[in-house]
Amino acid sequence: MADTSRHILGSYDAALSALQNDLLMMASLCERNLRNSLGCLLQRDEDLCNVTIADDEEIDQLEKQVDKNGIDLLRRFQPVATDLRHVVAAMKLAGNLERIADQAVNIARKARKLNRAPLLPEVHFLDPMYREVTSMLSDVLRAYTENSIDLAISIPARDKTLDAMNHEITENLTVQMTKFPERITEYLDLIFIARHLERAGDHVKNIAEDVVFAIAAEDIRHMGAQRPGSAADLLGEKAGEAEAWKAGDSVAS
Amino acid sequence: MERTQDIIPLPKPAGPSAPPETPAPPALRNAFEVANLDVWYGQKHAVQGITLNVPERTITAIIGPSGCGKSTFLRCLNRMHELVPRSRMTGSILFFGEDLYAAQIDPAVIRRRIGMVFQKSNPFPTMSIAENVTVGLRLNGIRNRAFLRDRMEQSLRMAALWDEVKDDLGKPGVSLSGGQQQRLCIARAIATQPEVLLMDEPASALDPIATMKVEELIHQLSRDYTIVIVTHNMQQASRVSDKTAFLYLGRLVEFNDTDQLFTRPREKQTEDYISGRFG
Repeated sequence: MADTSRHILGSYDAALSALQNDLLMMASLCERNLRNSLGCLLQRDEDLCNVTIADDEEIDQLEKQVDKNGIDLLRRFQPVATDLRHVVAAMKLAGNLERIADQAVNIARKARKLNRAPLLPEVHFLDPMYREVTSMLSDVLRAYTENSIDLAISIPARDKTLDAMNHEITENLTVQMTKFPERITEYLDLIFIARHLERAGDHVKNIAEDVVFAIAAEDIRHMGAQRPGSAADLLGEKAGEAEAWKAGDSVAS
Repeated sequence: MERTQDIIPLPKPAGPSAPPETPAPPALRNAFEVANLDVWYGQKHAVQGITLNVPERTITAIIGPSGCGKSTFLRCLNRMHELVPRSRMTGSILFFGEDLYAAQIDPAVIRRRIGMVFQKSNPFPTMSIAENVTVGLRLNGIRNRAFLRDRMEQSLRMAALWDEVKDDLGKPGVSLSGGQQQRLCIARAIATQPEVLLMDEPASALDPIATMKVEELIHQLSRDYTIVIVTHNMQQASRVSDKTAFLYLGRLVEFNDTDQLFTRPREKQTEDYISGRFG
């Protein structure tokens, strides 16, 4: 059988590559902005706050570019099967990445405001949440680039952990408010930042669900307790077939 | 409405009657049950070991690259491949449970019950539009003018052509446009009220508007007919069919619900073909 790694139409491959390149560029900028938003807060760096806010414009433009490329691809090549799922997933991923970047901007704005007041030692309450959400984002992007169902499927459970962290931080900061009512505004800003991180985690979870659909054609959204914990849970005996398929085997060949 | 001639008895309605307050939808029977079908043209092994069932009142698309055996398979379903010299077939095809290839079966009768529409529209050039539609009935001895007239109008309406030709029924069939000629051929095929329509790339020679009209017609006809359509146009297969079979080098690679086959095919070879990685 012919080499099937590429499409017969070279322009189809080029369009898919362009779509993925723009998406990966967007993902990379989004990761950087989220990391920078942490720096804004911990390093009390106003310039970094301004840069993070300004860099969002580039991500917004890339989101529009990914959507345009996706629509052009649908119009020109009418993709099916894996190609179709990847194009749809790319467009949905772009939307979620843009919203994560928006959360980074919200954090930077809050940080800029907090940095004008005396240092709050409680900013370090947010460290574990930051580490978890940036790690989740990094992992889900790796799952996307490496076609790893297991890695993507592990994300929703981590989002639950993030929600619990947010809840705990909010409670702790509420206690601090009662102790130091003169700084209630700053504590409220920290609670909002925790909330922005939690929202970013929600978008990472959405991305993970779209990545699973793109790879395995299985919709794991809104499954509650039935949500699968691994590729084997999701695909059962088909998990092995999916691996073999990815490796290029074919029952019919 | 009368049927011209039946050798195979008409199938009986399936299943016991349900209580009136909760009518159960009748289970779909298989119009065709194909088992281990092999076809040779001389030394060429055109179809190899195909087994699949075609449910009644569904649209089944056959896709695959040129030379994969699509048209041969289709022609086996109404025994038209027998018209090709040195053709040979093994395996079995049941038509509503009856052996299509049993010794007592008359192929001519089978072809009345299983109509066919070809890639190139082929109205009879010396006949008018009306005569083209009723030719099958007249060849079967029906002479009642009122009946022929009613059946002609009904067939042209079903083929979504009546409004366009009702004032020109006496004009030659070949005076119509390509898309109209193909719909005329579909009207001719359904005038004898077959149970199944086989379509061999029925829209491949038509412009996009005519193609859409034929696709809409196929969709409308599927309420009453079992349709098997060979097409090179995968978007067309995706749009019009309920089930799709992918053939490659004479073999059935995958047969699945159309939405499944075009979003999550089971076989890598199917994926490679439908996404344009070989062909």
